Amino acid sequence: MTATTGFRWLVVPEADMPEPSRELVGGKAWSLWRMRSLGLRVPPAFVVTTKACAAYFEGDDLPEGLAGELTAGIRHLEDQLGRTFGGTERPLLVSVRSGAAISMPGMMDTILDLGCNDEVERALAAESGDPEFAAEVHRRFTGFYGRLVLGCTEDLEDLPDTAAVRAAIAEDVGEAVPADPWEQLRAAVAAVFRSSRSRRAMAYRKHYGMPEDLGTAVTIQAMVFGNLDDDSGTGVLFSRNPVDGTREPYGEYLPRGQGEDVVSGRVTPKPLAHLAQRWPRVHAELLAAAECLDREGRDAQDIEFTVQRGELFLLQSRPAKRTARAAVRIAVELVDEGVLDPAEALTRVTAEQVRTLLRPEIAPGAAEGAKLLASGVGASPGVASGVVVDTPEAAQAHPGCVLVRKSTSPDDVHGMIAAAAVVTEQGGATSHAAVVSRALDTPCVVGCGAGTVDALVGRTVTVDATAGRVYAGELATSAVDEREDPDLRRLTAWAEAASPVQVRPDGAVEPVFDGDQAGVGEALPVIPAGTKTVRGAVFCAPDGVQAALDAGVEVILTAHQLPVLLAAIAHHRRTS
Amino acid sequence: MLDPYELTVHSLTLRQLGTAEQLADITGQDVAEVEAGLEKAVAAGFVMAARGSYLITPAGREHLDGVYPRAFEGLRADPQVTAAMEAFETGVNKQVLALTTDWQTIEVDGARVTNDHGDADYDAKIIDKLGRVHEKTAKVLRPLADADPLVDRFLDRIGTALTRAEGGETDYVSGVRVDSVHTVWFQMHEHILRLTGRERPE
Repeated sequence: MTATTGFRWLVVPEADMPEPSRELVGGKAWSLWRMRSLGLRVPPAFVVTTKACAAYFEGDDLPEGLAGELTAGIRHLEDQLGRTFGGTERPLLVSVRSGAAISMPGMMDTILDLGCNDEVERALAAESGDPEFAAEVHRRFTGFYGRLVLGCTEDLEDLPDTAAVRAAIAEDVGEAVPADPWEQLRAAVAAVFRSSRSRRAMAYRKHYGMPEDLGTAVTIQAMVFGNLDDDSGTGVLFSRNPVDGTREPYGEYLPRGQGEDVVSGRVTPKPLAHLAQRWPRVHAELLAAAECLDREGRDAQDIEFTVQRGELFLLQSRPAKRTARAAVRIAVELVDEGVLDPAEALTRVTAEQVRTLLRPEIAPGAAEGAKLLASGVGASPGVASGVVVDTPEAAQAHPGCVLVRKSTSPDDVHGMIAAAAVVTEQGGATSHAAVVSRALDTPCVVGCGAGTVDALVGRTVTVDATAGRVYAGELATSAVDEREDPDLRRLTAWAEAASPVQVRPDGAVEPVFDGDQAGVGEALPVIPAGTKTVRGAVFCAPDGVQAALDAGVEVILTAHQLPVLLAAIAHHRRTS
Repeated sequence: MLDPYELTVHSLTLRQLGTAEQLADITGQDVAEVEAGLEKAVAAGFVMAARGSYLITPAGREHLDGVYPRAFEGLRADPQVTAAMEAFETGVNKQVLALTTDWQTIEVDGARVTNDHGDADYDAKIIDKLGRVHEKTAKVLRPLADADPLVDRFLDRIGTALTRAEGGETDYVSGVRVDSVHTVWFQMHEHILRLTGRERPE
C-alpha cells in the first residue's frame, strides 16, 4: 500500500486503500482506521510505521527521508483542514501517540497540542477569541513535551503557566522545549521510538515472550477543540449502561469543554440529553456510531467524542469500564444477541467481579433500631459480624473476629488476614488499613475517630463497610444467591461445562485437605501430595484456586461456585 | 547503628511472624546470623517461636524502644534527614498510597468500584507512575540511605517488585501474600519511622 502513496515510512489513509496490518501501524491507528472505514468521522491522521521504528534503531537516528515524509504527511492534514502547522493564522496542532501492535506499559503514551509556540498561541487566541484557552493549550503542550520527550520527572501538571513549566523543565533537565514545530515533531517521533526500548517495555515483552525488538508505530493526528465556541463541546458515550449493563446508550456532554475536562472531574458535565436538545443531528449521528462500534467491537464501548463547530468527531472507542453487575449482564446479553458464544462470555467476567456481587449486605430493615456505635469511611466494601479485638495476636487467636486499631501498620497484617473485618480510628481511603483490606477483600471502615477502639473492644458488632458503619450486635444479612439470579445461574452452567476442576458445595473425594485448619499465615498452605479435595477460605481466592489446580486436585468445595469456577477456567486458559 | 542482633529483632517489627529466611531477606544478613540472633532473643523473652516462624513479644518491643535512641542518635540529629523524612511523608508516600488505591479501585460513572484490571491502558499508566515515583523516592531518601544501608536495600526490593509488576505479575503491585510494591513500601516506611523516631502520620 505504501507504493500507492509513494511513502516509504508513512501510511496515509486514502479512499479505497485496504486495511493496514496492526503490526505495521499499531493498535491505536488500526482502530482509528477501523472507525474511519465504518464511515465514522475521525480527525485526519497519518502513521509513521513500525518499519521506520526498526530503521531508527538500526541507524540510531530518524531514517533517511523520514523528515521529508513527515512534512508531506502534515501538508496532507493541512490540506484537509485548511490550517497551517506552526501558522500565524488558523494554526494546526497535532497529537503524537505511540502504538505497538499490543499495548504495553512503559511506552510513551500521548503528546497533545504539538506544534505550539508563542506565535501559535497568539494565533489561537485570535482565532478563538479566548486567550485563556490558547494559554492553556500552550501550557499543557509544554508539560507533555517536557515530561515525555525531555524526560522531566517533576510534576508539571499543577504549574500555573507556560513560563513556570518551562522553568521547571530547565531546572530539572537543563533543556528547553524547541520553538520550531517541525523540530518538536521530529523529536517527539524519535522519543516515541526510544520509549519502545524502555526498561519497562522490555521487561513486559520478556515476560510475555514477545520479541525484544518489537517496535512501535507513531500516530500523528490533527487536534480538534471542543472548547472553541458555543457550538463546540466534548463528551463520552457508553454504548451500554456501565453501572447495570442494560442495553441503552448512556453518556455525558460538556459544552465548551476539552476531552480531559470530562475525565478529570474538574467540571460537571451535562447529560447527553443536552446534546440531543442543542444538536439533534449530532446526537443522532453519535448514537448511530455507538451502535455500530458496539456491534463491530463485540463488546460495550466507551467512546470519546468532540464536537467542533457543530461537527462530530470520534476520538477513541474501546471496551468500556463497567461495574461487576454490568459485566455479568453484558456478557449474558451478548450471548443472547448471538455476538458471543458461552465460552467467550466466560472470559468477559472475572472471579473478582462475581465475588463482589455475592458479598452479603445488611438485610433490608435489619439496621433500623440497631445501635450505631461508630461510623467512618467505607474503604473496602462488604459486611461482617464478630467479636471486636484490638491486637493482631488476638485476631489470630480468634479467626473471624473484627480487628479494631488506631491505625494499622505492617505489624498488623497477620491479624488483618485472620479478621473478618477491620476498623480503624485514623486514616482515609488510601491508608494502609484500606489498601491491605482491599487486597484481602476484607470489609474495612477507616477514620472512625479517637476512642473507637475503647468503645468497641470486647463487643459483638456488625461492620457494614459498604456504608461505613459499625452497629451493635449481629445483624441479619442477605446475600445474592447465585442460583436465584438468572444471569449468574446461566454463567454458572456455562462455567461448569468449561471448568478443568469440579467445584461444588458438597461431595468430597478422599483424601481432603482443609486450608482453614492449616493455620492462618501470609503464605498459601502447602497442599499434601495426593490430595483429591480441598476446602477452606483460602481456596476460594484466585491464588488458592491456582495452587489447587497446580496440585492436581479434583474437587474444590465452596458455598459460592461461580467465582472459583471462573478463577479455575482463567488459570487453565493461561497455562494451556 | 543497630548491631546484628538488634537488627534481627528489629526486622520482626517490619514483618511480623517471619521465618529466619524471610527476615534475612529483609535485612540482608546471613541466615545463620539471623538464626543465632533469634535463638538469643527467644532466650531473652524478646521473641516467640511459632511453628518455624518468629514473633516479637511486648518485652522485645520495649527493648527496642530503649535501643533506638542510642543507635540512631546521630541520624536523628541530622537536619537533612529530618527534611528528607518530611518530604517523604508529604510527597512520595502520599503518591504511592493514592496510586495503590487507583490500582485497586476504578471509577465507573462517578463511583469507585473494584478494578477488575480489564483496562490495560489504565493499569499501565498506574504502573508507569509508580515507576516514576519510585525513582523520585530514591532521590528524596538519599540522606537516609547514606546514613543507613538498609534503606537502599528496601528501595532495591521495591524496584524488584515493580519489575515483576511491569512484567505482568500484577499481584506485585499491592498483593499482601507476596513482597509487592506496597508490602515492601510499608516495611520501609515502618523502618524509617523507627530510624527517625517519628509517629506514623495516620
